[in-house]
Amino acid sequence: MAQPFLKKDDDHDDEVDYSPFLGIEKGAVLQEARVFNDPQLDPRRCSQVITKLLYLLNQGETFTKVEATEVFFAVTKLFQSRDLGLRRMVYVIIKELSPSADEVIIVTSSLMKDMTSKTDMYRANAIRVLCQITDGTLLTQIERYLKQAIVDKNPVVASAALVSGIHLLQTNPEIVKRWSNEVQEAVQSRAALVQFHALALLHQIRQNDRLAVNKLVSSLTRGSVRSPLAQCLLIRYTSQVIRESASNTQTGDRPFYDFLEGCLRHKAEMVIFEAARAITELNGVTSRELTSAITVLQLFLSSTKPVLRFAAVRTLNKVAMTHPIAVTNCNIDMESLISDQNRSIATLAITTLLKTGNESSVDRLMKQITTFMSDIADEFKIVVIEAIRSLCLKFPLKHRSLMNFLSNILREEGGFEYKKAIVDSIVILIRDIPEAKESGLLHLCEFIEDCEFTYLSTQILHFLGIEGPKTSDPSKYIRYIYNRVHLENATVRAGAVSTLAKFGAMVDSLKPRIFVLLRRCLFDTDDEVRDRATLYLNTLGADGAVEDMKEFLFGSLDIPLVNLERSLKNYEPSEESFDINSVPKEVKIQALAEKKAPGKKPTGLGGPPPAPPSTIDAYEKLLSSIPEFANFGKLFKSSAPVELTEAETEYAVNVVKHIFDGHVVFQYNCTNTIPEQLLENVTVIVDASEAEEFAEVASKPLRSLPYDSPGQTFVAFEKPEGVPAVGKFSNMLRFIVKEVDPSTGEAEDDGVEDEYQLEELEVVAADYMLKVGVSNFRNAWESMGPDCERVDEYDLGPRENLAEAVNAVINLLGMQPCEGTEVVPSNSRSHTCLLSGVYIGNVKVLVRLQFGIDGPKDVAMKLAVRSEDEAVSDAIHEIVASG
Amino acid sequence: MLLAILFSNFAGHIILKRFNGVPSEERLHWRTFLVKLGADNLKGARNEERAFCFFTKNSNSITSMNLVVKFKSVYIVYTVLGGVRIYIVGKDEYDELALTEVMFVITSSIKDACGKSPSERLFLDKYGKICLCLDEIGILENTEKDRIRRRIGLKPPNPTEI
Repeated sequence: MAQPFLKKDDDHDDEVDYSPFLGIEKGAVLQEARVFNDPQLDPRRCSQVITKLLYLLNQGETFTKVEATEVFFAVTKLFQSRDLGLRRMVYVIIKELSPSADEVIIVTSSLMKDMTSKTDMYRANAIRVLCQITDGTLLTQIERYLKQAIVDKNPVVASAALVSGIHLLQTNPEIVKRWSNEVQEAVQSRAALVQFHALALLHQIRQNDRLAVNKLVSSLTRGSVRSPLAQCLLIRYTSQVIRESASNTQTGDRPFYDFLEGCLRHKAEMVIFEAARAITELNGVTSRELTSAITVLQLFLSSTKPVLRFAAVRTLNKVAMTHPIAVTNCNIDMESLISDQNRSIATLAITTLLKTGNESSVDRLMKQITTFMSDIADEFKIVVIEAIRSLCLKFPLKHRSLMNFLSNILREEGGFEYKKAIVDSIVILIRDIPEAKESGLLHLCEFIEDCEFTYLSTQILHFLGIEGPKTSDPSKYIRYIYNRVHLENATVRAGAVSTLAKFGAMVDSLKPRIFVLLRRCLFDTDDEVRDRATLYLNTLGADGAVEDMKEFLFGSLDIPLVNLERSLKNYEPSEESFDINSVPKEVKIQALAEKKAPGKKPTGLGGPPPAPPSTIDAYEKLLSSIPEFANFGKLFKSSAPVELTEAETEYAVNVVKHIFDGHVVFQYNCTNTIPEQLLENVTVIVDASEAEEFAEVASKPLRSLPYDSPGQTFVAFEKPEGVPAVGKFSNMLRFIVKEVDPSTGEAEDDGVEDEYQLEELEVVAADYMLKVGVSNFRNAWESMGPDCERVDEYDLGPRENLAEAVNAVINLLGMQPCEGTEVVPSNSRSHTCLLSGVYIGNVKVLVRLQFGIDGPKDVAMKLAVRSEDEAVSDAIHEIVASG
Repeated sequence: MLLAILFSNFAGHIILKRFNGVPSEERLHWRTFLVKLGADNLKGARNEERAFCFFTKNSNSITSMNLVVKFKSVYIVYTVLGGVRIYIVGKDEYDELALTEVMFVITSSIKDACGKSPSERLFLDKYGKICLCLDEIGILENTEKDRIRRRIGLKPPNPTEI
């Protein structure tokens, strides 16, 4: 590991060009360490040798047991010297050498002496060293001193003991926990640093005791904390308490909010910032609560300190994601930050502005961004692109200037990721904003004329093939596509051939001309290109059904590619041609039951857990792979898993409700938690006598359920098509249980049939509603129009408060609350809540709920529903009326 | 959690390291990763998924520029000080902001110990003193350079500070 010391950098040094450690060698240094044994100690010399030892250790040099012991013994001799500098070095080297248990005893007495010394600095350092090298038994011996040190009147000593406590808590928690009283006393210390360290330790001691933390926070928020650092800690602990208590009470009153708000007027910037950030991160924070926090952050925006500007703009950027309106006040200050010489501040300012800006400011903003884009790195540009994309979706009318902007930057230099972000954005805009389609496609066409990335070219060609034929004048795209056949590599050429064929299939008037072009491709140098041209010429030229051809060209491959690849590899050329229907459609599924692998604890620098796969996609794949369910059509919604067993039972079962147009499938995720058992032929017997409209049509048992490896069994019901039928189902788990020999892991041959009662399960109206949000509720509401609007009033009866009533209605409907309206400000007498969703049959639904509460807590509600179908609007009212 | 503080020279050799709660088998990996990160980025080129750079309190010169990377669940702040590169790794509450403050404490106390931004030579000359600085900073036990200086010399802090 030790690297010989190399030449130094000349730019930074005009001193003599060699290192003090040049040619340093372990043996020689150990030899030198003998000076520690001299009767006449030379402190300077000794310090130098210690420095060399430290350097060696930091280079990764290791000492053998004998060497380490020898050095360690020698070092202990240095306690005789009265030289301060040397003593300080001795403390460090002892920690670095981390002596073994039998050696520690040698130095303990010296350190104990220092610990009780009259010199406070000796005491402090001795405490730190002892705590670092000591083990449990020795610790009990010195515990008494440490407790005294914690409440010592000298802050340096107290701090040393407290910080040592924080370290020791990792190794000897039970001992440190006994110091609670002393630490509590130290929290009241007049010295700022002691208070800070004491608070940190006290919280760590009590962190698992929610009540104690709550008490700690309550008492300290009332008193005065001197140290700004401690105050910051207190704010963090307070927001933790708020988070935990908020889930228990739904009253709308937020405990400790006043404390956080008070901290906004603190004199230390770090406290102000910490409080402001804590407020913005509160669960379901309301606009009123945000106001004061945003005001102080706004002041920070014009601070002279870059760190403060960065911190403020970063926090505001986060707030803008959920409460864009609240941040608009800061827009003027943000705009001046666009020219900030620090590019991260500028990028954050831009993206925040893009989130909060209104329709009228878009053009001005885009002008500013254009000048800004040229001097930032790709990573920042991508962030800006993403922000522009969402802005465009928010203000579709502005698509022209935003699309122009995107196409302009598409022409400039940039790496793959950056270009991909731009192309992706244009594609999304084309999909979502019909008016932007033609201009967007042309921009993409221009881009592929000069695109160096094969991946992007093929993606765009594919996209053109789907969207191009549907435009008013498809012929204008042909030139761009055919150019690819001449100018590009084989992959792109093959892509272009497929795209041409799609135009030919969709646009009859173009078909003859496409044929000419495709025939030219028959002479291409690449096999794949020639093969595709031949294939498409034959398919398009054949008189077969047009539908088949379209299905062939545009249909998706419903076979997993992995399976296809495996089947093709296994296929041996013979008389019999390869049959694509023989490829299994079953997808290997894991992790669907969402059972975490036990025992895998994240280590210090380990990465975060991988993001869960898109569950809906996974469910869809899973269900379509089961032949019994394959003809149910498109999956409309899958519910979150509902537990059917208590925690810690023998068999853990939860159920996912999959809703189809005319069917409902229950997916029971079962886990066997008994190592000595193997379950076979696992089914769930469902009694649907309380669900009249449902009739069981299929059941797919689980063949075997070994210990701790989750499996699924399914039961499918038919229900009237498109009708949101509801009902109650009782469930019984039935299986054959076999004993497993734990030593060999083998199961016995004979099993016993057994049953296990599960909880009941309900299909409710909310299961037929997809939570789909809209970015701008008012626009969506206006554009939906009043044609299918239904309005009615309901009396919800006595309720605890408004928040509870609002939550109940949201849960009943299963819709997505918009614009943060699910949060009811405390003590308010009326509230409006906006919801959006997609009802079964893919009907968009918007709901506006107006609540009012009167004296004896009677809640009245006005419900206005707009949807694309009046029957659905009525259905929503029925749900509320019967709920 | 403040996980690691590393110093390397421009050739990429680790001069000084401090790990905190990092298993020993992961340390080598981090040493290599950080040195490579510095070699790639501190010369100007950057290829991390998301890099922020910002200037610290006192100047705009390149020597006081901090680069920040979020890698998996940890934050890394690294910079050049004279002839050495400094890397700090933190997680949880030690986000890029907190680490920037830590960096400020480290750079200011090293400059204090060396009398100026140290060349590599000067850094090695003052190696012992710098080790003491880091020992005093610990897991952010002390944050002011004056206090750190006094404590290195085993002198009690100024009464006014208490």
